[in-house]
Order: sequence, then structure tokens, then C-alpha cells
Amino acid sequence: MLFALTCSCLLMAPLWTFAQARSNAITQSQPSAQIALSSSPVESAPSPPQSYTSALPDAPDPNVSAQSTQTTQQKNPPQSGQPSLDSLGFPSSVTRPNPKEQARLDKRTHMLKVHQTLGLITTIPMVATLFTGPLAKAKGKNGQVVTEPTPANLDFHIALGGLTTGLYWTTAYYAIFAPKIPGVKKRGAIRVHEVLAWIHGPGMILTPILGIMAYRQENDGEKVHGIASLHGPVAYTTAAAYGAAIIAVSWPIHLKHLRF
Amino acid sequence: MKLPVALALLIAALPASAQAAARQPTTQWVLQQSTLTYHMTHPLHNVDGVSHDARGKGICQEGECNFLIAVPVKSFDSGDSNRDLHMIEATRGADYPMVIVRAQFPQTSTGSSTIYANLVVQFAGQTAHYEHVPFQRTSVGNDVRITGTVPATCSDFKITRPSFLTVPISNQIPVSVDSTWRPT
Repeated sequence: MLFALTCSCLLMAPLWTFAQARSNAITQSQPSAQIALSSSPVESAPSPPQSYTSALPDAPDPNVSAQSTQTTQQKNPPQSGQPSLDSLGFPSSVTRPNPKEQARLDKRTHMLKVHQTLGLITTIPMVATLFTGPLAKAKGKNGQVVTEPTPANLDFHIALGGLTTGLYWTTAYYAIFAPKIPGVKKRGAIRVHEVLAWIHGPGMILTPILGIMAYRQENDGEKVHGIASLHGPVAYTTAAAYGAAIIAVSWPIHLKHLRF
Repeated sequence: MKLPVALALLIAALPASAQAAARQPTTQWVLQQSTLTYHMTHPLHNVDGVSHDARGKGICQEGECNFLIAVPVKSFDSGDSNRDLHMIEATRGADYPMVIVRAQFPQTSTGSSTIYANLVVQFAGQTAHYEHVPFQRTSVGNDVRITGTVPATCSDFKITRPSFLTVPISNQIPVSVDSTWRPT
């Protein structure tokens, strides 16, 4: 029995030695024993297992302030046996946090969200103005009896046109004055969206001017003539370009089973 | 008398086998090329944002492998600069410019066709843990190609889901990984 006990003690000696040498590694390997059967994410908010934090020290605590998280991401102290972010050789201009740019992006997104919402709202009076346009137009060819539009129809059309113009330029303001991000080359649907603005933008200047000219000619008992007669065609072209701009920025549309 | 002796021999065998595992040669790996793709879905849109700018290193020693992959948030390209800027804003990519992924798995699994890794992902100022994520491993000459998908979600990183026409995108933003590693 004594022989067996002695033998056991002697044989245990390398195990203790190994355990000391691997004390750090054992701490790291514990998570492997805790592996779940599914690849489900584990939120870090309720603090990860201690073994994880020691094995993966660069993971910032989400409860800490943004500044300290940034610092952690930048400093990234190298741990023995683990590659560090610094060792990957990214230039500091890439890894350095830029709160000013984040603020600029936040403001830009806010303004473009307002632009999007107002732009969609603007379509309602715009379409209504197009539908009321023929009702505000004098009818009858030259040499025939000219039927003047009723004052109510005319006023309603003018009011809708005014509302559309006001909303349109407010919408445009939020796009034009949204902060630009330096160094970003525009790609994708936004380019088509912006090109179309060169059609509906001038159109939204011309349409009200031509509308006022046409209104004055009608009030003077004249048949609308000259450049004022282009009020309708310019308005339709403007609305078409405006609608196309909305579709362009939404393109490509992928419905569940259909692709456009 | 025989039983204690047998037990003693068994106990002696355990450290020997553990030491054998620990004696696996230390290897270091460098990411040669990679394609990381996030997939975003919306009732009207399916969008893939791709980055080839990831850098990574890995060390396998003492029976365990630790890999680090980092990629700038800005480097993801969805083909629409407006959308990419919105993505950077939504993920607070200027405050937290890097996506940092740490993978940990047993060194013994480096020869397997499927590697199950525990991942710690730092993104958007948050940290999420993904356990037992499967990655496919194939040898390409001297290099090793690793492919797989990180089952990320917006809520994992407390990202307010962007919306289009008032409808938010899906919470799921899986990131597929296709990487080629070379031993150094």
C-alpha cells in the first residue's frame, strides 16, 4: 500500500508541473468546455464569463462610455500569445475615432430623413395640382366662345400649386444643405436621383412663373398664349421627373417573389 | 493492491496525453485575402455590402488558436454611396471605425473540415459573443481557405435599424466570411 501511495505521488508530480505551466492556458480553454450547441450570440452587456474576458481582453464593456470604448479600441494592449490590432498595420487615420465626422454624419442623416419624408408628402399636393390644372384652364378655340374657369377652381389650383412649391423648396433645402462628406465619390442610384433634380428643379421655378403669366392673361380676358401656354407641359414634365427621382433612389426594388 | 497501482498509472497517463496536445507546434497565420459581405434585407430591397480590406493574424500554440481579423467599417461597399454613408452613421462607424473579430478554437480542430469557433465581435461600440460558429476549412496548396457566416443581428450591437419608406430593415445582418490564410 505504501509502495502504491509513493508511486502515485511520484507520478502526480509531472501533472502539477504541467498544471502550473499551463495555468494561463487552462483559463483560456475553459470557454471551450462551455461551448453551446447552437451558434447563438451572447450579449456582452451582462458581462461575459471571466475566462472570456481574460482570453479576449480587447472586447470593450458596452456599459462603459463611448470615449473609454474608443480608447480601448485604439490602445488594444497586446496579450501574450494573441495578435493585437496594432500588429495588423492599419494606419492610425483608419483606426482613429472621429467624433466630428460622426456628428456630421448624424446631421446629414437627420436632414436627409426630413428630405425623404417631406419629398413624399410633396407628391400629394403635386398630383392634386396636376389633376386640378385642366379645371383652371379656359376652354375654347380661337374664334369660338371661351369658357373661363370658375374662380373657385382657379383659386383651388393656385393654392395647391403654392403649397406644392413651398413644400418642394423646403424639401430641396434639406438635401442641398445636408453636410457633405469629404472624399466620398457618389455611386449608385443617388446619381440618377441628383441628375433628375436638374430637370424638376428648374421645372419648379418655371412652372409657377408660367402659371402666374397664364393667370394674368386669363384675367385680362385673353386666351393664354406665348410662353405662358407652356405652363401645363412644363408642369407635367416636372412632375414626371420628380416621380422618376423618387423611383430612382428606391431602385432596385426587390419584392418577395418579384424583382424589378 | 493492484487497483491503486492501476489508478496511479492512469493518472500518470493523463498529463502525458495533455502534454502531447500542448506539444503541437506553434503556428502563425496571416490573412492573405478576404471577402466579408454583410447581407441586409428590407421588404423592397436586398443589399449586400462587400469589403476586401480586412487584415488578420492568427496564432496557434499550446493547443489553442487565437485569430484576430479587423476591417474598417468604411470599407464596406454596397454599390450606393448614399446607403454606405447611412450605414456608417447608423453603426456609429466614425466613432468606432473598426470591426474587430476575435476567434478562438482548439488547435486540434485545425485539421478538420469544419472548425467551430467562439467569436467575440467588437462593432458599433458594442461587443457580442457568438459561440460554436461553424466555419468550413479547405486547403488550397499551402494556404487554407476558411468560409462561414457570422449570424449577426442589429440588436446584438444596439444598432437602430435604418428604415426606408418608414419600414425598418430586418434585424438579421449575417456576415459571410471568405478568407484565405497562409502560415508564416
